[in-house]
Amino acid sequence: MQAIHLEKVTKIYQIGEIETRALDGVTIDFDAGEFTALVGPSGSGKTTMLQLLGCLDKADSGAVFINGTDVGTLSPNKRAELRSAEIGFIFQFFALIPVLDAYENVEMPLLLAGVPAKERKERVTGLLEAVGLADRMKHRPDQMSGGQQQRVAIARALAPRPLMVLADEPTANLDTANGEQAMEIMQKLNRETRTAFIFATHDPRVVSYARRVVQMRDGRIVDDRIVGDGAMGDGVTSERVAVASVGAAG
Amino acid sequence: MASGKLWSLALRGLLRNRRRSILSLLAVSLGLALLIFINAFIAGVIDDSLNNSIRLRTGHIQIRAESYRDEKVSLQWQDLLSDLDTLMTRVDSSPNLVAAAPVLWAGGVLGTKDDSAGLQVVGIDVDSDLYRPIRESVVAGAFLAADDRNGILVGRRLADSMGIGVDSTISLTVVDSDGVPQDAFFTVRGLFSTGIVTYDENSVFLPLGKAQALTHTEGHASAVVMLLDDPEAAEGVAVGLRGPGLSVQTWADLNGSFLSTLQTAQGFYLILDLIVMLITAVVIANTLLMSVFERFREIGILASLGMKGRQVIQMFLYEATLLGLAGVGVGVLLGGAIVWYLTRYGLYLGDDAASAAGETYAMSSTIYAAFVPSHFVFLSLATLAVTILASLYPASFAARKEPVDALRAL
Ligand SMILES: Nc1ncnc2c1ncn2[C@@H]1O[C@H](COP(=O)(O)OP(=O)(O)OP(=O)(O)O)[C@@H](O)[C@H]1O
Ligand SMILES: [Mg+2]
Repeated sequence: MQAIHLEKVTKIYQIGEIETRALDGVTIDFDAGEFTALVGPSGSGKTTMLQLLGCLDKADSGAVFINGTDVGTLSPNKRAELRSAEIGFIFQFFALIPVLDAYENVEMPLLLAGVPAKERKERVTGLLEAVGLADRMKHRPDQMSGGQQQRVAIARALAPRPLMVLADEPTANLDTANGEQAMEIMQKLNRETRTAFIFATHDPRVVSYARRVVQMRDGRIVDDRIVGDGAMGDGVTSERVAVASVGAAG
Repeated sequence: MASGKLWSLALRGLLRNRRRSILSLLAVSLGLALLIFINAFIAGVIDDSLNNSIRLRTGHIQIRAESYRDEKVSLQWQDLLSDLDTLMTRVDSSPNLVAAAPVLWAGGVLGTKDDSAGLQVVGIDVDSDLYRPIRESVVAGAFLAADDRNGILVGRRLADSMGIGVDSTISLTVVDSDGVPQDAFFTVRGLFSTGIVTYDENSVFLPLGKAQALTHTEGHASAVVMLLDDPEAAEGVAVGLRGPGLSVQTWADLNGSFLSTLQTAQGFYLILDLIVMLITAVVIANTLLMSVFERFREIGILASLGMKGRQVIQMFLYEATLLGLAGVGVGVLLGGAIVWYLTRYGLYLGDDAASAAGETYAMSSTIYAAFVPSHFVFLSLATLAVTILASLYPASFAARKEPVDALRAL
């Protein structure tokens, strides 16, 4: 059985008379440890998909299974527990808690998950070292650059050792160098931890790191292919960029 | 999640927007200080009125003839006390006694060449300590002497309004024990000003002997008034003095109408308290709601990290609790300072306010607040509770939102 399974998932937004099928009967699986880019034109349903995967929202029909559990049947508290244990989020605008320093931000999901103090300390320091921020632990978000903040967010997403990390346009607010650094860190951590990474993105550079690219349009999956092992190579880059730009053009 | 971390989050939540937190804190503390002031002031007014009434009007215990009726101010012998010597011997051996003396009350009309005023004529034992408050409040001329046969003591407000002063001659008309009006001329010996307006406007004092002679009630008195060193002892002392044909009343009976007015007023003061608390609650709920709106995104982030609705509520409740505690601390200091000042120096309300208080309240023109520790405790706890309760709505509002709505902007 797949770690994550979507079965004919439909999500409809209604504003006045206008009904938008943000997801339209999507069936798809994600495996533990995969590194996947979700591409497609603006409004194609990428963010909606991540929100349903992350148990932040409920499907109107169909079901989302995580480790075999239909998350639609869970109470809000159970969903919170599931998020805490299995799902990490990385957002476009870094989304750190401004009053907490880097260390505390990474520690927060562990506190919520009830991880004992000693282990918390080990994990938080380990992760902040892994993202290259060992010397920034006491810095608050407003005392760090965007790239550093996003690396704190990556560490935070991985802290509970989740099944999957969901990242919505993680590089959109980073310059090229910082974007690539963030992607490399995520790629490295993905290999080390077997955590699945699913990115919604318009950024060809992100797509170039992916091992699987899922393309969406109008709430449907129009293409789903394995593109390699994610290693940067000149031969394949252009092809991946092409895939991404098809999406962006729509 | 350890609640220690939630407290710390709550504290930082407050510290991040210091200006707003300080304003909320001020709302709590000013509300509480206002409540403390109102309650101390009202307690002061009550104490003051009751003390004045006891000191100048009723005493702690009054002994009268059973048939005496207050409202009639009767001077008929059967309605008065007789055999005063025997009675005073008994009274003088009472425990807790500070002073006791017979008094004669009569309704009368004071006249000058071109003016007259109805008032209460009080025949007093001028040597008794009972009238020390009057003796001490003489502001012009002198107090009466026991053998003074035509001296009278007039309130200054009355004197001013009638255009008389020390050494003026006035006429006094009273209806004697047989119902016959009796006229006599008096010389104003002194003017008194007790600060209790109704008193200063409506009473004149004569030596008891002269008053008795004028009304043909020699050897009689309307009442024997007693002052004790402990109001609580009045009931017990009164019981010891009961006898055939006598009515013995304590200050609680004698101030009955005042005390029952007080009871009614208590409800009004409670409403006043509630209004102030409601305003505090609205301010707190409003600022917390603002900070919930401001931190919507953040609440969404915390939810995405696995924070539960209950914990979100807890976090905001803790914030309100910290705010409430700090606000109560400052409020107690502020209110305490105000009350301290007012117990020491009082608040001058002026004569108009005092006379507006009317007959039932023997209110002074300067009011000293009463320090009642239990008020501080009760009002502080109530304010804290109100602050926390006021945060329930914003807190649950924050927790009710689906994380996805909170995260929309991300
Ligand atoms: N809360 C909402 N209310 C109404 N419509 C919504 C809401 N959220 C999304 N939609 C609509 O659902 C569709 C899918 O939106 P979604 O955000 O998933 O697209 P996306 O692929 O993430 O787009 P982008 O690349 O611009 O981020 C869009 O048509 C969008 O307008
Ligand atoms: Mg999107």
